[in-house]
Amino acid sequence: MRSGAYIFRKLVSAFALLIGVTFISFLLMVWFGPDLTYQSLGKNPTADQISEVRRQLGYDRPFMERYGAFLGQLATLDLGHSDSTGEPVSRLMARTLPVSLALVLPGFLIGNLLGILLGLWSAWQRGSMTDRFIMGASVAGMSLSFLVIIILLQVLLCTPWGLNLFPARGWSVDGLSAYLYYATVPTLSLVLITLGYNTRFYRSVMVEELNREHIRTALAYGKRTRAILFTHVLKNSLAPILTRLLFSIPIIVISGSLLLESYFGIPGIGKVTYDAITNGDQPVLKAVVSLTAVLFVLVQLAVDLAYRWVDPRVGPS
Amino acid sequence: MNRDPAFSRPHGPRSLMRGLFRTGAGISGFVIISGFALLAMATAAGAIGSEWWQTSAGAWQGPGAEHWFGTNRLGQDIFARAVYSTQTAFEVGILVTIASTLLGATLGGLAGWYSPGWLDESILWLKGVLDSIPFYLLIAAIAYAMQGSPWAMHLGMTAAFWTGTARLVRGEVIRLKEREFVAAARAIGLPGPLIIFRHVLPNTFNILLVQATLVFVAAIKTEVILSFLGIGTRDGISWGVMLAESSQEVLAGRFGNFLAASGFLFVLLMGFNLLSDAMQDELDIRGQTA
Repeated sequence: MRSGAYIFRKLVSAFALLIGVTFISFLLMVWFGPDLTYQSLGKNPTADQISEVRRQLGYDRPFMERYGAFLGQLATLDLGHSDSTGEPVSRLMARTLPVSLALVLPGFLIGNLLGILLGLWSAWQRGSMTDRFIMGASVAGMSLSFLVIIILLQVLLCTPWGLNLFPARGWSVDGLSAYLYYATVPTLSLVLITLGYNTRFYRSVMVEELNREHIRTALAYGKRTRAILFTHVLKNSLAPILTRLLFSIPIIVISGSLLLESYFGIPGIGKVTYDAITNGDQPVLKAVVSLTAVLFVLVQLAVDLAYRWVDPRVGPS
Repeated sequence: MNRDPAFSRPHGPRSLMRGLFRTGAGISGFVIISGFALLAMATAAGAIGSEWWQTSAGAWQGPGAEHWFGTNRLGQDIFARAVYSTQTAFEVGILVTIASTLLGATLGGLAGWYSPGWLDESILWLKGVLDSIPFYLLIAAIAYAMQGSPWAMHLGMTAAFWTGTARLVRGEVIRLKEREFVAAARAIGLPGPLIIFRHVLPNTFNILLVQATLVFVAAIKTEVILSFLGIGTRDGISWGVMLAESSQEVLAGRFGNFLAASGFLFVLLMGFNLLSDAMQDELDIRGQTA
């Protein structure tokens, strides 16, 4: 397939996905969402006041016009004001997103790095006791609820019933030591939550790579284990590793921060989302849902185009 | 790895069972799940655990012979609540698994059969759209739209989980389409939908079975998170509700809810993961976790 045609095809399908995710967000949270008329009205409103508010909320306009207005809001990032605090939603998100990234990214990277190393080790020792132990531990880890892991670590590290080294809740970070003080337990939780899944995934990638002929050749030439594992196996597994990393960023940042921040009381985008879910704060919820989905589609597109650029053999899948 | 499952040898239910029972993991998984299933049926029949809501005992009693895990803030027996929650777990797991398996098999089968074509493209588009929304957020949005309906959780999970099944089924159907029995069915003039549902989809049974165990695990784990977020189980009791309550209690040194709920949850999930692994090895199929 020619490059131009390939890029065009990818752009069209990304556009179709964008239409889809924004349409679903609109349908669920605006069109079928609860009627917000009486939230902003005082007691005993007159019929005129009611129709005025309904006009402001756009309830009197047809479906496509309201969907168009919603798309306009997203495109200009003019997402209205939070129902509970009155803060502009775009400012709220710009304020809280850095906190979430600072909280989640280290755990995300450590979890993947450890997963790659354990997966590599396990795959190399396939069938041995080490392999079986690592795989058994991964299955056990996958059988623990995320919430259980968080509560357990909190009890063990942050309460008088455990080591009581870290704060149980909160976030007031003004430097590295404060950051480590508040972020260690959430980071550790995220690593443990993702490690079982990561190890299993990376092990299967590495096992497949180890079965290839070039590895057998390298072994036959008597290359050292470390050289084989790190130059031959790891390097050739970079594509699936990078794909997994890139695709899980939006999911881990949002889902991970949603859990960790609401549990540990950390003022990031996840806490904002949690509050929006519990209070039914529609402007915030619809902004988070639709912007995350849009971001995810754009990441997918970027990954596809980058692959094509790196390896022109990549065709339509 | 998202490897497409190879076409496996015909594997009847009986030989599958024999294969599963060759490994310790398969046996323990099967025993654990059967135990919990019996427990769920017993509570559903009202034989045990039905007094979980009784508040006769004093609040915050410690563990003892009378109340194995103590009592909660209302004076309810924590162990009875944990036992009764088995029923909730199976209800959520079974409903979500059946719904997303049916949906995934139907849409995946249609997509594979009519691939390449507009129907395949549309189903892939729908799958791509749903996969692009992180599923806690998708479920939160559905819960918002349904304004507190207790079924929002089930519907949301089904909307998020069918896509993994559909992807695997579609790939398998594209492969099966080329085989002689399908050519024969076409040659005698059977209509497409009849061939799909009578002859092709039954051959994807093994994939559906493996995928169903994974969806079951995902559904139970997701229920816990959703209950913590306040959009999960609404009327009644579940391990997720107990864990959500315990998140406040552990800071005061009360561990009854936490230990009981996480213990039950861990053993059941472990059972499913063991069985699923044994099944994947036996059938040489890799499922896709939702």
